[in-house]
Amino acid sequence: MNPLSVWDGWMVVLALGLGTFLIRYSFIGLFANRDMPPWLAHGLKLIVPAIFAAIVASGVAITAGQFGGWALWPRYAAALVALALAVRFKGNILITVVTGMAALHVFVALQNVLR
Amino acid sequence: MKACGDCKIGWQSNDAPRCRFPRCLHGWRVRNADHGAFLLAVCLGLRGGGSQCGALLACGFGFAGARVCGSSQAVLTQFLQSASSLWVAVLSGLVVNLRMAVYSAAMAPRVRHLSTPRRMLAAAFLVDNAFAFMQQRRQDKPQESNDHLLAYYAGLTCVLWPAWIVFCMIGSLAGSVIPASWQLDFAIPLAFIATLSTTVRTMPLFAAAVAGGVASVVLFSLPLKLGLIAACLLGLLAGLITERLMLLRKASV
Repeated sequence: MNPLSVWDGWMVVLALGLGTFLIRYSFIGLFANRDMPPWLAHGLKLIVPAIFAAIVASGVAITAGQFGGWALWPRYAAALVALALAVRFKGNILITVVTGMAALHVFVALQNVLR
Repeated sequence: MKACGDCKIGWQSNDAPRCRFPRCLHGWRVRNADHGAFLLAVCLGLRGGGSQCGALLACGFGFAGARVCGSSQAVLTQFLQSASSLWVAVLSGLVVNLRMAVYSAAMAPRVRHLSTPRRMLAAAFLVDNAFAFMQQRRQDKPQESNDHLLAYYAGLTCVLWPAWIVFCMIGSLAGSVIPASWQLDFAIPLAFIATLSTTVRTMPLFAAAVAGGVASVVLFSLPLKLGLIAACLLGLLAGLITERLMLLRKASV
């Protein structure tokens, strides 16, 4: 297929922007004037960690649109280091991100040495 | 009248325990999360913008402005360039963003008392990162009033959104200045690891997280990007099953 034209691109942006807003507003609008059933609130509590974990796992293991496999071990190791630090520092985002990035580059350097 | 204990510069009257300070400024002062948020927006923007090229460069600004995809922007723009048709592209994008319905549901009880335009405003800025930060804020301060949490959200958005747009532009225009070997995209999962570590407190939540994480990688190649939402639902299922098992075990002991 030909690459998208600028016009096509803007149509996609417009459609996605509108659709995404509707997704975001869906439950806020739905439960504006009525109470949320308890089972829904309960399911919500369980699905939130699943979403975060899915974002984490696909962000760590998938690069350039495909599963990286064993070659990405520096990323897995750095994620584990970051997880340990996140638990230790009660989820401090700044510490987790900075040390995680540092760990990643240490492990990448190690990978290059070992190769 | 006493000083607001959270932001230290606003004040509260005795009869109304709400900080009398513009919400965005109050939220800005609250905790140090804004540093993390800013840093995250920088990384996200540089990577998100950097992955666009050619005809899609201008659309990158559109994406940023419409707050379309937050953390999945880089993935999505990459995918758009190889999509077989516009409809597939739009549909896949919406499927990826279906997870935001959960954020919407979590937010719903907190914005019920607001007017409809304000509710819409709150919905419009509800991206992954903002939700993750709020989730963490709620773990840190379970006693906090709803007004304070919304103030925090407003302050967070005042940091996240402008920084996101500016750095998306920089990333789009000067994407090649940042070498890919820096792997800035890795900052996204890192930030969510921090939030995940405070969210997972019980066994069912742990099971949900493990199932969701594994499934998102295994199911990644499903058509229409259905993998992410399928992983979320599988995580929910795993959580429910674990809960039931724990109940059964408790009953048998």
